Amino acid sequence: MNPVVRWFHQLGSPPYFDRFAARWAPVGYVLGALVMAFGMWAALFQVPADYQQGDSFRILYIHVPSAWMSMAVFALMAIYAAIALIWRIKLCEILAMACAPIGAAFTLITLATGSIWGKPMWGTWWDWDPRLTTELILLFLYLGVIGLYNAIDDRRAAARAAGLLAIVGVALLPVIHYSVTWWNSLHQGQTISLFGKSHMDPSMLPPLFAMIVGTKLWFIGSLLARARADNLRREAGKDWVARAAGLPARAASAGVPR
Amino acid sequence: MSYREYVIAAYAVFVVVLLWDLVAPRLQVRRQLRGAKLRAARTAPAATPTDLPLTRD
Repeated sequence: MNPVVRWFHQLGSPPYFDRFAARWAPVGYVLGALVMAFGMWAALFQVPADYQQGDSFRILYIHVPSAWMSMAVFALMAIYAAIALIWRIKLCEILAMACAPIGAAFTLITLATGSIWGKPMWGTWWDWDPRLTTELILLFLYLGVIGLYNAIDDRRAAARAAGLLAIVGVALLPVIHYSVTWWNSLHQGQTISLFGKSHMDPSMLPPLFAMIVGTKLWFIGSLLARARADNLRREAGKDWVARAAGLPARAASAGVPR
Repeated sequence: MSYREYVIAAYAVFVVVLLWDLVAPRLQVRRQLRGAKLRAARTAPAATPTDLPLTRD
């Protein structure tokens, strides 16, 4: 068998995934924290102030990467949920449901930092603007997925129901993205493009790229850590969980109801 | 045109939410592993008498 395919098969085994996640989650967190620390230092102390917005534009370096993450994580959650629904892969159910709280956290950051930025620039903390409103709906969708997953006792049925909501919710993503184009929005249009021409001065871009990469690495760490916790929760009572808890093999076997 | 307090508030929100994101799954994992230990401890004494030989003495 192809080594990559074999590795994916192995990853589907709960004990193997537990060891994998326990090993790599801290790596994701540490790398993400280091890259973001550099990004934040450069954003706060290296980049010159904007000629119109002054220092308030520095909020962009956490607001934009968080906004991108809020949508990217939702798309990834829907992909995992679709794979889980079609091929009934338990690990994908776990990964899909682990995406929800992380995506909700990034959406919350987006809304809060946008509000804090809006006060000095727009003169208001909040406006029922299309971009802000659709982002708020995204937060409610995340909360809906989390709530639905925790409301049903059967973990697999819960993941299927919440996964379906995630798949349906994907329709919101293009609406969020194009809301500034389709409607007359208070929110500014797209100024940063990863592959095209950005409307920002090149001297202001490196911290932004660092924050974009840093949030992705952090997400990997958080996804693995949360998926590990859910995996342990689903497998509670199994022999390997007791062994992972540090119990010797004999004690672990004694603790398992057969 | 400094707006320093707004920048500090925004970065504080970012750091606090990410710290929660770091701590929450660690606590969940710890709770699950502690639960596994407690389950083993609860069932282990009940398993011991069956190891003894069956006698009328």
